[in-house]
Amino acid sequence: MIEVLDPTVEVQTHPVTFVPRPDSLAGKRIGLVENTKFNSDRLLQKIGDILVAEYGAAGTRMWRKRNSSVPAHEEIVQEIRATCDATVAGIGD
Amino acid sequence: MGQAALTSRRLRASDDAEAIELCFARGWTDGLPVVPPTPERVERMLEAARLDPNHEITYIAHRAVSVTAEKAAINAVMAGCRPEYMPVVVAAIEGIGDPRWSYHGPGTSTAGAAVLLIVNGPVARELDVNAGDNLFGPGWRANLTIGRAVRLVMRNVCGSRPGTLDRGTLGHPGKLSYVIAENEAESPWPPLHVERGFRPEQSAVTVMAAEGPNQFYNQLSNTAEGILTTLADNMRISGNVMGQPQYAVVLAGEHMRTIAGDGWTKAMIREFLFAHTQNSHAHLKRTHRMAGPVEPEDEARLRPLVDSPGDILVVAAGGRAGAFSCFIPGWGGKRSSQAVTKEVKR
Repeated sequence: MIEVLDPTVEVQTHPVTFVPRPDSLAGKRIGLVENTKFNSDRLLQKIGDILVAEYGAAGTRMWRKRNSSVPAHEEIVQEIRATCDATVAGIGD
Repeated sequence: MGQAALTSRRLRASDDAEAIELCFARGWTDGLPVVPPTPERVERMLEAARLDPNHEITYIAHRAVSVTAEKAAINAVMAGCRPEYMPVVVAAIEGIGDPRWSYHGPGTSTAGAAVLLIVNGPVARELDVNAGDNLFGPGWRANLTIGRAVRLVMRNVCGSRPGTLDRGTLGHPGKLSYVIAENEAESPWPPLHVERGFRPEQSAVTVMAAEGPNQFYNQLSNTAEGILTTLADNMRISGNVMGQPQYAVVLAGEHMRTIAGDGWTKAMIREFLFAHTQNSHAHLKRTHRMAGPVEPEDEARLRPLVDSPGDILVVAAGGRAGAFSCFIPGWGGKRSSQAVTKEVKR
């Protein structure tokens, strides 16, 4: 009988708390985070326009990540937190 | 030295053969059989690198994962590394954990990058890391197992599993192992690690997120300019043309001697390639790489393939015979991932 060691990282639980989803987008300020890939800004703007036209959102504002491979940087996270009620982030490719 | 105890979960098998199948069944391998990571083998690996099991080699912020020496050693055993390879594996893991390498992109992307490892300094010769014939393999244990260990760490510790957090559309064979050494013994130029700030007697590993090697032929010219003109012509449309990634250029024996014989330095090679790999906006638009209609001024407007000459890493390696060399496009773009060089600490 031999023993072998598990090469993987054993599952660790990280409690993640999500902000409750808004019941309605009416009057809400929407942040859009685009990932710098070609057309990602156009795709997100179309989504933002639909949220305004069909769901009554108050308006949209777009932020741009430094590049598509990294999380949004802290400055824009803080700005979004201060000025928006909901955010849409997505990948354009 | 007194070591802390190994804390990884232990599984039992009746013998090595059954343990190999157990590793397959658990999804721990890259598709090839592994050496079963018994506690004794893992301890020998850690002793060779003089690391405690709980030492954190790097922290991959994008994945919220700590890569400990114990996990690295387990995967290095599985890859078939000899214990003395472990310091090189550790330096490479430090490299891919560096924010400049930026793990999440090259570790996940559909573009399917591998980790190209370039080993420099005394350790390359001591461990017999191949810098010559059949540079990219097969045939050398150090080349094939060091890179494999890094990839198994990415799979088993960092979560880069094909189909989940490794979404390579095509991938390439270098994702099994992609390790070379520079031929410092015969190279007329300063080695890569010295150009990147280390002393010649130090050992170092450079990690670069990379596509596969692109071999080019020049069996005609006996001048530096002739060979590099051919290379530039092959390079000009390659890799992520619009993304401006870094490139590695690997010059093998015959080309190396011809280019150096004309008195060209690595800096001159980089400058020449930078100047001769630029594409006109008109060509990029006609070939549907750049958006928009071709404007009259686009014929004369040039876009460099790389951001600067320094983004071309020049390495002397490969067999002595044969008028071939290669270039290797980096993954994505320089702003998303950069080559990183780390000292091999022994």
